[in-house]
Amino acid sequence: MPRPHTFDRRTFVTRTGTATAALALAGCLEFGEETDNGAELETAPEVIEVEDPPAAVYIPTHREAMRMLDPIEAGDIAIAPMLSYPHPFWIVAGSGEDAIERVEPEDGRGVHMMFTVWDRETGIVLPVDDGARVTVERDGEQVGSPLSPWTMISQEMGFHFGDNVSLPADGEYTVTVELPPISTTTTGALEDRLTDTETATFEFTYDEAFREEVVGGVEYFDESFWGTTGALEPMDHGDHGDHDDHDHQSGDDHHGDDHHDDGNHDGHGTADEHHESADGHGDHDDHGEHDDHDDHGEHHQHVPYSALARIGEYPGTILREPAAVDDGVPAENADLPRSGDAAVLVTVLESGSRLADGDEGYLLVSPRTPYNRVPLADMALSVTIERDGGETAELSLTQTIDGEYDLHYGASVEALEAGDSVTVTIDSPPQVARHQGYETAFLEMEDLEFVVPEVDGE
Amino acid sequence: MTLPDRSSLSRRDYVRGLVAAGGATALGACLDVTSDGPEPDVPSGTDDPASLPDRQHAWNDSLSTDADGTIQLPEHHVLCPLALSDAIADGTDIDDERRETVEAGLQTLERAYEWSNEGLVFTIGYTPAYFARFDDSLPDSVDLPDPEALTAQETPEFDEFDALLHLASDHPSVVLEAEEGLFGDREQLNGLEVETDLSDVFDRVVQHRRTGFIGEGLPAEHADVDGVPDSIHENAPFFMGFRSGFADSQATEDRVTIEDGPFAGGATMHVSSMAINLTQWFQQENHYQRVSKLFSPDHADEELAGEYGEALGGSSAMTPDRIDATEADARERGVVGHAQKAARAREDGEPLLLRRDFNTVDGDQPGLHFVSLQDEIDAFVRVREAMTGTDLEVARANSGILHYLFVNRRGNYLLPARDARAVPTPTSDSTDV
Ligand code: HEM
Repeated sequence: MPRPHTFDRRTFVTRTGTATAALALAGCLEFGEETDNGAELETAPEVIEVEDPPAAVYIPTHREAMRMLDPIEAGDIAIAPMLSYPHPFWIVAGSGEDAIERVEPEDGRGVHMMFTVWDRETGIVLPVDDGARVTVERDGEQVGSPLSPWTMISQEMGFHFGDNVSLPADGEYTVTVELPPISTTTTGALEDRLTDTETATFEFTYDEAFREEVVGGVEYFDESFWGTTGALEPMDHGDHGDHDDHDHQSGDDHHGDDHHDDGNHDGHGTADEHHESADGHGDHDDHGEHDDHDDHGEHHQHVPYSALARIGEYPGTILREPAAVDDGVPAENADLPRSGDAAVLVTVLESGSRLADGDEGYLLVSPRTPYNRVPLADMALSVTIERDGGETAELSLTQTIDGEYDLHYGASVEALEAGDSVTVTIDSPPQVARHQGYETAFLEMEDLEFVVPEVDGE
Repeated sequence: MTLPDRSSLSRRDYVRGLVAAGGATALGACLDVTSDGPEPDVPSGTDDPASLPDRQHAWNDSLSTDADGTIQLPEHHVLCPLALSDAIADGTDIDDERRETVEAGLQTLERAYEWSNEGLVFTIGYTPAYFARFDDSLPDSVDLPDPEALTAQETPEFDEFDALLHLASDHPSVVLEAEEGLFGDREQLNGLEVETDLSDVFDRVVQHRRTGFIGEGLPAEHADVDGVPDSIHENAPFFMGFRSGFADSQATEDRVTIEDGPFAGGATMHVSSMAINLTQWFQQENHYQRVSKLFSPDHADEELAGEYGEALGGSSAMTPDRIDATEADARERGVVGHAQKAARAREDGEPLLLRRDFNTVDGDQPGLHFVSLQDEIDAFVRVREAMTGTDLEVARANSGILHYLFVNRRGNYLLPARDARAVPTPTSDSTDV
């Protein structure tokens, strides 16, 4: 059986609480600590290592459970907070072996706090770090130091901000998030916007019910899938996972302890169809918009997932690998050339493109995760252009977020001709933290060579 | 302010808490528990204050150095904010009599304590808000704008009181005692009778009083404070775990001295107060990442820093090559060092700032009071721009230490020369007192 590229809940899943052998693993970390009513404190599920994961995107051991809070609108943006149990993740500073470090959660009470931030007008998830400041308070007293959450990618959540945050006790917490203006180059519908500092505040209760929800909601996959190449499909953000059989009369019911919510908001059954992430399945091509935040019931606030547009939605001439120059445009994201397992789309927009300077063309390079099309931010890319074996240009690309094409790396270029070769060099890999399943990919990234094909790829 | 609880704290932490609390009771408690004893052996000052350096900021020649020759700031610091007392707040009554009072008070400190780590060093600086009450404005030779936010990430409060006294000594009891002595709560300072105090001229602005400490091993002793991890190296002098302040990365006192005009011999001072997230820094990053981000990626690859900067000896090893590599490191390595970035602002190869920053746990949170001297505030602004590095193509989390710092306050000050330090006017030449 071919491995699925994306992994959904129809595939073998076991849940904590069900008595199977695999679940002997799902124990508790906090032996010795007790809750207020004397039960053993279970702040996080057992973390299972995948032995020898491939240097590629791989299927983790489990699907994380989380509590979604109501999105908050602030000026041009909206912020959706999500809370899970503290868990390991990997931070990246540089490109060598020592540049990636696994973060171990601290013992005791705490949450993995996450935010998705998006532009309200375009629905684009903002995949950039400008130094958010998060402060946590309990009874008016600040808890711990202020913190700047890491930019992170996860298979379920796409691009988001997050960190593990220790909490001193069960109780009510107030979180303030300050987001400074976006300094990354913005174009199209985003140009000259996102220029103000925005502040959002939310509250949450950390208690036994929360722990049961997020620890108990974890789903372990059958062991045979752990570490195989592929990715979990994006979760269906928002609280409408069960939209086919629940009526969500109250918009804030997901704050409570209603158990139907924990985990059901990630896609399953028909909900999968809604998120057109599963390139490998080939049956989702009719889904056009990547910021599909408008098609659920009005009373749900949908949280967009940071998927880039599909290949066919990019204008211009899509460049090919030299060996595949006559094969036509790759049909699926997963068929794009890969470097460090990142799929890389390169297209040349004709002169006169709004992205180009003067009458030059525009080279748009869009590295993304191979299955879920999550943009890979904070890389440094450059290109070398050759014609008839001689170098004609060497350019550093600028990280840019466009209202239509979202995050990419680009530069204006002189007109390219069929047969020109364009080599994309990854000067440094994406400097974003990773959840399990992404930490071995997008690190050692080889140059990729492309050729301008004879005819327009469309 | 309530005193810290003796029973629940280590001795050093308790003493630190006493310095933070301030006041006569804290001083008494401090003398009881420190090795200082009730009669600490603190060297006396000079009978001839005129023999002291002309510049208030001339501390270096009198401070001790470590085995590698790096100047060691005194261990305990108090930043004591002052407001002109109501009676003279409009400025019209700032006259020679007031000046004499202030000068006499400050000279009392110089007579009581040796100008050294073991004794006391201090400065008094004045804000733009102080000078704003006079009809005259400051001469062009002094660059002292109102403080402002210097990065897109911060919304700081500003020091808008009038003056700031920076007191520093290795003896916690000395900084406490000096502060008490100046404000009339102490009859003797180090055995010397106090004749004049400053309370006719200044009120203390207690809510903005700040305190701190610096020195090998002191940060690790605060591991019981929320947000200070155990993993901080036991010898580290600064919260972020490394030595700092190497001579080759510091401006000289000459360099930061105002050369012309009525305030020649003075300097400007910028004070910013910031929180530091040490949890991410120590619990999440590895040593290699810390060295890359604090010094430079090359420092990390070459393993120049050792465990807490000791392997650097007396030099930051911030060579022109490493400084010039900043832009390339941003793109090609994905990370740049804080010191490397800031060093881009050097002029003629010389650092522009003389940094006298120290750690704090004011508000029971780890932080830094960043005290920087330079000849003009604009020099600070330029260096801070270089440190912020918006020109660099690098993820913010890997752009030095920006990710961990949260600026809460900023203040700008003029430190006049010693002979002009007592409630100067914008045009006052050294006032003869
Ligand atoms: C927690 C905060 C900070 C820490 C831990 C820190 C640490 C360091 C370290 C380890 C060095 C290199 C060694 C040396 O000092 O000789 C350095 C250099 C430097 N830092 Fe910082 N620093 C901090 C904040 C700041 C701030 C706020 C500024 C303001 C602009 C600044 C400006 C500089 C400058 C100008 C240099 C010298 C660069 C040169 O060599 O020319 N630092 N710092």
